[in-house]
Amino acid sequence: MSQIVVNGLLTGGLYALVAVGFSLVWGVMNVVNIAHAAYIMLGAYVSYWLYQLYGWDPFLSIPAAMAVLFVFGYLVASLVLNRVIRYGLVMTLVLTFGIDLILQNAALMLWSADYRSVTPAYAGQGLALGGVMVPYVRLAVFVLAIVFVILFSLFLSRTRMGNAIQATALNPAAAELTGVRIERIYALTYAIGAALAAAAGSMISVVYTIQPQVGNVFLTRAFVITVLGGLGSIPGALLGGVLLGLAESFATVTVGIGWSEAVSFSLLVIILIVRPQGLLGRRFFGGVG
Amino acid sequence: MSVTGSSASHQRKIHPPAPEPSPARRAAWVVVAALLAVLAVLPPFYLSGYWVRVITGLLMYAALASAINIMVGFAGYPALGNIVFFGTGAYTVAVLMVKYNTGFFVALAAAGVLAAVYAALLGTAVLRLRGAYFGIATIGINHATSELVTNLDRLTGGGRGTIVPFYPGGIEEERMFFYYLMLGLMVLSVFTVWVISRNRLGYGLRALKADQEGASVMGVNTTRYKVIAWTISAGLTGLVGGAYAYWLAFLEPPYVFDITMSVKTYIMAILGGAGTVIGPVVGAFALELLSELIWGRFLEAHMLVLGIVVVLVVLFIPQGFMNLVGRLLGGQRRRRAKEVRADG
Repeated sequence: MSQIVVNGLLTGGLYALVAVGFSLVWGVMNVVNIAHAAYIMLGAYVSYWLYQLYGWDPFLSIPAAMAVLFVFGYLVASLVLNRVIRYGLVMTLVLTFGIDLILQNAALMLWSADYRSVTPAYAGQGLALGGVMVPYVRLAVFVLAIVFVILFSLFLSRTRMGNAIQATALNPAAAELTGVRIERIYALTYAIGAALAAAAGSMISVVYTIQPQVGNVFLTRAFVITVLGGLGSIPGALLGGVLLGLAESFATVTVGIGWSEAVSFSLLVIILIVRPQGLLGRRFFGGVG
Repeated sequence: MSVTGSSASHQRKIHPPAPEPSPARRAAWVVVAALLAVLAVLPPFYLSGYWVRVITGLLMYAALASAINIMVGFAGYPALGNIVFFGTGAYTVAVLMVKYNTGFFVALAAAGVLAAVYAALLGTAVLRLRGAYFGIATIGINHATSELVTNLDRLTGGGRGTIVPFYPGGIEEERMFFYYLMLGLMVLSVFTVWVISRNRLGYGLRALKADQEGASVMGVNTTRYKVIAWTISAGLTGLVGGAYAYWLAFLEPPYVFDITMSVKTYIMAILGGAGTVIGPVVGAFALELLSELIWGRFLEAHMLVLGIVVVLVVLFIPQGFMNLVGRLLGGQRRRRAKEVRADG
């Protein structure tokens, strides 16, 4: 029983980190960023190659992965996405789907569909706490993921740039009138979203095996968590991530491992219908009518 | 402003309110339609087996794009997970033919009906969601249904897949059968969209796409219209899925509940021009022919190039081909549209 809870919590922390960047981009830009899956995957591969070629510890390569994807995300947003954003959510969704296809298939051609994993010496070791097994790596990932989410939350509330992002989310026209450069804020927001995806990807490369489509399962979770927690809400993403982690953990034990997606998506559809603004949702873009 | 206004009213005096085509124009249409019909019926007789198969695939995508267009183009609901009805139809045919030994056409009819009923049941709950939320809910429904089919393995063969009985007959005969089957389904889809576009349902859907509250105030029963539209769209998609199951002869959940396929039909509808009757067919042919050519040339990069095409379409022709053609042909079409709007 306690093992189920611990598993759920540990997975939930990682889910929260996966979802936070996705939720931010959706909440601020009104963009459902399908390419988030590809950014997770690229982050994982940056860590993998740095480990494989230069022996970097996967936890040390997290900043590198984030930097690479930050720059990449900034370019994508300023060169492509910003031109299309005025056509509305469905068009940008299709656009990011196209970007995702390009990146995943480029990765497939470059690095093949082989399953790979990052296995530092400490992988597989763990802590036994009264019959509950806590692998070190997963614990570290959990703690780091939570730290990232909190740091990011502080960035949004305490810094000038963070405030500008929040202002843009609430009312782009008014934000522009007060001197916020919307296009730049969008590019920045998107870049931060990509960097957060990369951080999650790096951590995923330590816990799971990776291949070019590794991001997809996490993207579906990011959807669920974002809707569960409320669009653009960081505490919501945290709560949603942990709840989903626990729900899946229990579902695996009670109805079997094959049903985890059905569980998360049934949860999604129910939440959408019963409480469309999410558990901790507040006014952001894309309100349900 | 006043000049255009007076010229429009002047034109309206000459033509009756609904611009009926002149006899010469109608004759031209009949000739074009006859040519198209001949062109559509002939391929199995003079093309190689490979190209007949390619065109059968084209027809299938055109039918799917037309079906999704009812939701996307008319009602303005991004039914991204519409492929769930394709999978439902495919598995209905497979299960009925394998487990209950029914004939193909009985199973096909059941596939259409079951998919439509599924949509009608889901619709009352899910169609309350707007925009992207609806789109995501449909993606969720697709995943959940796929997993359900995988887990009901005693009935469906589960993740190992299931073999559908082969078409009884020679290779030539089989090729013709599936060609005409898909052609028939495409014609059915396009015809359905055409009928919708000119009757009450079509006008109601367009009104609700433009302004749901407004349409509701004007007396459009929005929920009923949306559910009917989705039911029709799902029924058509289910039929195509059922035909696909028999054509492919082997099914696995990931093949027929493939979100990529759904998004592809969605792109086709947008590419050709969402909300038009012929647009999705044009889009389907353009995208599938292109990807077939790419497929032949670089097998590995196929999906990558598809991604590039998607990005380019969104960047450069977000309104679709039909609109682009309309703009290139000049103001005539637009002027006529304005006239119709003035009358309506």
